[in-house]
This record gives sequence, C-alpha cells and structure tokens, in this order.
Amino acid sequence: MSERVLAVIAALLAALVLGLALFWHPAPPERPLPVAAGPAGGAFTVQSADGPISLDDFRGKVVLLYFGYTYCPDICPTSLMSTAAGLKLLSDEERQQVRTLFISVDPERDTPARLKEYAAFFDPGILGATASPETLADVAKRYGVFYARQPADAGSGYVVDHTSETLVVAPNGKLVGRIPHAAAPEVVVAEIRKLLIHP
Amino acid sequence: MKKMSVLLSGLFVAAGAWAAAADDVVVQEPYVRLAPPNAPATGAFMVIRNTGAKDLKVIKADNPLSKITELHTHLNDGGVMKMRPVSAIEIKAKGEAVLKPGGLHVMMIDLKGPMKEGDSVPITLSFDDGSSKVVEAKVVRPMVAPAAAPMEHKHH
Repeated sequence: MSERVLAVIAALLAALVLGLALFWHPAPPERPLPVAAGPAGGAFTVQSADGPISLDDFRGKVVLLYFGYTYCPDICPTSLMSTAAGLKLLSDEERQQVRTLFISVDPERDTPARLKEYAAFFDPGILGATASPETLADVAKRYGVFYARQPADAGSGYVVDHTSETLVVAPNGKLVGRIPHAAAPEVVVAEIRKLLIHP
Repeated sequence: MKKMSVLLSGLFVAAGAWAAAADDVVVQEPYVRLAPPNAPATGAFMVIRNTGAKDLKVIKADNPLSKITELHTHLNDGGVMKMRPVSAIEIKAKGEAVLKPGGLHVMMIDLKGPMKEGDSVPITLSFDDGSSKVVEAKVVRPMVAPAAAPMEHKHH
C-alpha cells in the first residue's frame, strides 16, 4: 500500500520535473540584440566644442553612440548614467579602448559648448556633439535611429521623441549592436568586453 | 460624560467619512533628480500610496524651482522613448503609483536656476477632491536604477 503511494508520488514528481523542463522558460536576462541585416552605419562627422569628431578618428576602439538632447528630463540621463556606470566597471586600460559619443538631435537648442558640459557630467569620457539637421538626419537614418519633435502642451517649447538605445560600433567601424534603454551596467560592460576580446 | 463620548466618536466617524484624499496619501522615497549642467528640465520621482478606501487621482503637481510642473509618463515604442503628459495619475484604494525613471514622473520644466545635491524641493500634489499635500523631495545625483528591483520593497 505505502509502496503504491510512494510510486504515485514519484510519478507525480517526475511529471512535475518533466513539465517544468518542457514548459517553464524563465525570461532570459536582458541582452543587447544583435543587429541582423540592420542599418549599415558608416562614417560621419559631428561637431564638438573641441572641434569636429569623425567616427574614423576612433578606428581601433569600441564606440558607443547615443542620440538624445539636453532638454531631455529623464530618458537621456537614465541612459547616460547606465553607460557611465558601465564605463566605471572597466579597467583603465579597457577604458582607453572605448569612446562614447552623445549626439544631440536638437541642434537648434544644443550648442557644442552646452553639450560638452552636459555629457561630462555623467562621465568625463563621454563626448558631446551635434551636427546640422541634414547631417543628423542622414546619420540617424544610416544608424536606424528615430527622432521626431513633439510640441509640448504647456508652452515650454518642444520635446523630442527619440530612440533610446545605445549603439555599439566595433573597432573596425561596423555597427554591431544596440544596448537597450537603462541597461544594467553589467550589460554595458559585457557588450564592450565582447568587442575588446574579439575585435 | 457618556453622551460626550458618543458625540466625540460620532465626530471621529464623520471625520473618517470625509477624510480628504491628502490624508490618505503616504509618499515614500521622494526625490528630484539633479539636472545635469545646461539641462533645463528634470524629473521628480516617488511612490505615492493610497491608504484610503477610495480611489483617488493626482491631478496636478507644483514646485517653486521650475516655471512649469507637469505630470508625465513615457511610452517605450520599439526602443523609441516617447514622453507624454498625463492628465492625472490614478491610484486605486489601498494601491500605489510608482513614479520612476522611464515611467511616470513629475516633470519640472524650465528650471529657474541651478539646483544642487541635497537641496530640498517642496512638491505640492493636488488631488481630485481638491485637497493637496506637500512633499519634501531631496535633490540627488542621478543613479543607476537597480536592475528590476521592485521599488515598493525599499525600506527607510
């Protein structure tokens, strides 16, 4: 009798294990999505307070690109903080191999001087830059970045909807990945290190 | 004497029935995110708990540091963050609203001057029944949000 009970329990447990194995798929940790046949990326030049910056200047380094604007009250600071926290986890040697560029899609209000100070607040290694509306439109298109002005309803000017992923350019200049908005610093570091190890 | 206590308890019951929304609200962890240099706007975040038995709405927020104060939320539309004003933040009875980066927030637009870490900002929350509550929010440097840590389980 008790053997039968034990057998039933064993069977139930086996069914449970099998059921879990088959049907339980915990969400995988947040991870940058590879760009599959996505935007081409490519060379560009933007203007910083210290002169023009070209993507080609950073050949041989991992480049993080973020498109935002200084009037952005929440999203840009959140993204830049997450990038800055990731950069802080790198060794000094690794940091030398990384460049981070904050590109304003709001050149009407964001001058290179404003951007320099703004970006450095998050990490001295983050460079601020912008470009003409035409250049920005071209770069954004090639990098799969969306932005659009939205009128603010309280007479406070306008806000800009924008892609809040951080783009990752490999040392060979190719656009290779996107880090999601507000990614954990560990995710940022993992994405950078992946490229430092396999340039 | 007995009459008196009946009268008193009657008064308390009445006060309970007519409690203003502001009295039912408990605000936890309020803070204003230090605006980076040259940033003319920033957000204030907090957990607003409704301990009362009635649903309530925050319909307005105000603060002395910015010219305009609005209630906003964010919509993540395929990686594109869209910030939009909301007309009210509804909080169910015994429920809470979590205002946090990337979501609902009190938006402080057109800052009148630079703010510094540690400053205290009185934020007035106005409710749909006409009552209001002032919350002192500390200015803090932006921090990285802990990965998926539920805000509501934070302790003081």
